[in-house]
Amino acid sequence: MSTTLKKTIPVAIVFVVAMLVMMDYFIVTPPTDAAGKSWTSGAVKDLQNWGIILTAFSLGFGAVNLFYFHSKHISRRTPKQWMFSLWLLLVIVTFTVVGVFMGPNSTSYQWLYNASYFALSATVYSSLGFYMTSGLYRALRFKNIESAIFMVVGVIVLAKNAPALAVYYPALAAWGSFIENVLTTSAQRGIMIGGALGAISLGIRTMTGRETGFLGKLTEEEKGGGTA
Amino acid sequence: MSGQRKGIWDYLEDIPREVLYAVLLVFFVAPMIYPLGLPVPITANVRKWYATIDALQPGSVVMIDFGYSGGGEPELGPMAVVVYKHLFQKEGVKVICMSTSIEGTQLWDKAMAEINPSRYGAEYGVDYIHIGYIAGGETAMAAIGKDLRATTSTDYHGDPLDQFPIMEGIVDATSFDLLICYTTGGDQSEGWVRQWYTVYGTPYMCSVLAMMVPTMLPYMNAGQIISVTSGAQAGEMESLVRAPARGIKSADVITLTHILCLAYVVIGNVAYLAKKSQGGGK
Repeated sequence: MSTTLKKTIPVAIVFVVAMLVMMDYFIVTPPTDAAGKSWTSGAVKDLQNWGIILTAFSLGFGAVNLFYFHSKHISRRTPKQWMFSLWLLLVIVTFTVVGVFMGPNSTSYQWLYNASYFALSATVYSSLGFYMTSGLYRALRFKNIESAIFMVVGVIVLAKNAPALAVYYPALAAWGSFIENVLTTSAQRGIMIGGALGAISLGIRTMTGRETGFLGKLTEEEKGGGTA
Repeated sequence: MSGQRKGIWDYLEDIPREVLYAVLLVFFVAPMIYPLGLPVPITANVRKWYATIDALQPGSVVMIDFGYSGGGEPELGPMAVVVYKHLFQKEGVKVICMSTSIEGTQLWDKAMAEINPSRYGAEYGVDYIHIGYIAGGETAMAAIGKDLRATTSTDYHGDPLDQFPIMEGIVDATSFDLLICYTTGGDQSEGWVRQWYTVYGTPYMCSVLAMMVPTMLPYMNAGQIISVTSGAQAGEMESLVRAPARGIKSADVITLTHILCLAYVVIGNVAYLAKKSQGGGK
C-alpha cells in the first residue's frame, strides 16, 4: 500500500475533522443560520453522531474479537486457561440471548444482571476497602519528616470524613477544607494544566502527521523519518 | 531476630492482615445490623446541592447522567435515589435521564424500584424519562447538547420520544436548567464541564466516588461546578430531604470504620516508636 493511502489520506482526514470540531467549539464562523448557529454546526453534529455509532459498533466488534480470541484457547485446550475462556463465552452467550430475545429491561435480564455481574462487581470494588485499611496501617508511620507530613494529613482527612467525628470536632472541617481547597486543589491544578498541555501537543502532532501511532505499523520511511 | 521470642511491640507493629480484615469486617457488619444513629454533619457542598434543587421553579428541566457502574452503586446509588426523591418532591420539575455508562439503564431501573415514583405522583413520560445509554463518552455529551433528537429518537424502551409530553420543547443543552452527573469515571464528570458548562453555561453538579473528589475540586473552586459531593455523603442529603434510607445507615459504618483506621494508625505508630526506642526499629 502506498504512503499516500497509509498515511497522507488518514492524516488529512484527521486534520479536517479536528479543525471542523475545534472551529465549531471555539468560534462562531459565518455564515450563520437563522438560529445563529455556525455553518460548521451541521457538519459537526453529523461527525459526532458517526462517532457515537462507531463506538457502539466497536462494542459489538469487541465481543466478536473476544469470541475469536477465546475460541482459540478452547480449541487448543490451553492449560489453566481454556475453562475460563469457555465460561466467559457461555456468560456472553447467556446475556446476549436473554438481552436480545427478552429485552435488556426484562425481569429475566435484570435478575441475571443483579444476581451475577452487579453483585460481583460491587464485591470486587468493596474489597478495596480491606486492602486500603491494611495499606494505611503499614504506610502511615512516623519514619521521617516526609512520612510524618503524609501521616498527619492522612489522619486529618480520615477524621474529617468520619461523619460523627466531624460533628463532635468542628475544627476538623476547617482543617479538611484547607487541605482540600488549598493544598489539593493547587496540586491538582498543576497536574491538570500539565496534562492539558500534553494533550494539546499530542493533538497538534497527530493533526500534522508527526504522531503516527493511530495508523498502525508504519515503516520509518512511511512515517516520514527516512533512514537516519 | 530468628529464634528470638517476639515481643508485644513486634506483634503490634506487624499485625497480620487477616486480623486487620477480620476486625474491619466486624466494624462493617455490626452497625448494619444494629444501627447506632450517630450524628451526621451537613457539609457546605451538600447544602449547596440541596439549595440548588430547592430553587428550581415549576417547569424547570433537569438532565441526569446515570454514568456509574455496578461496582460504584453501593456508594453512588443512595445519592442518586435521594436526589431523585428531592426532585420528585418539587412541583412541576421535569427530569430527563441518560446514561454514559453501559450499565446505566439497569442501575436506573434499580434506583426507580427503590424510589417508587408513583408515591410522589410522578409519571413516566410526563415527569421523568430515560433516553437510554448513549455510547461515545464525551462525544455523546457533545452530540446530546447540540441536538438531542438527532442523537437519539427513542427512550430506553425503544419508544419514540415524540410521544412523551415531557419531551415537548426539548431541543438541546439550552433546554435544560440543571445538569447532574453521577459517575465512577473521571472522563464523564470532567467531560460535562467541557461539553455543557463551557459551551452552553448549563449549571452543573456532580456526585462522584469519594476518591475522585480531589480531581473535581479545581472545577468547583473555579465556579464551573456548583457542587461536588461524594456518594458517601448520601446520608447528609437524606437528612436534608427527610428521607432516611441506605445513606444514613452507611454513615454509621463510615464513622466506625474511619475510627478503626485511625486506631490502626495509632497502634502502628506507637509500636514502631516503642520498638525504635528499644533499639529495634527499622
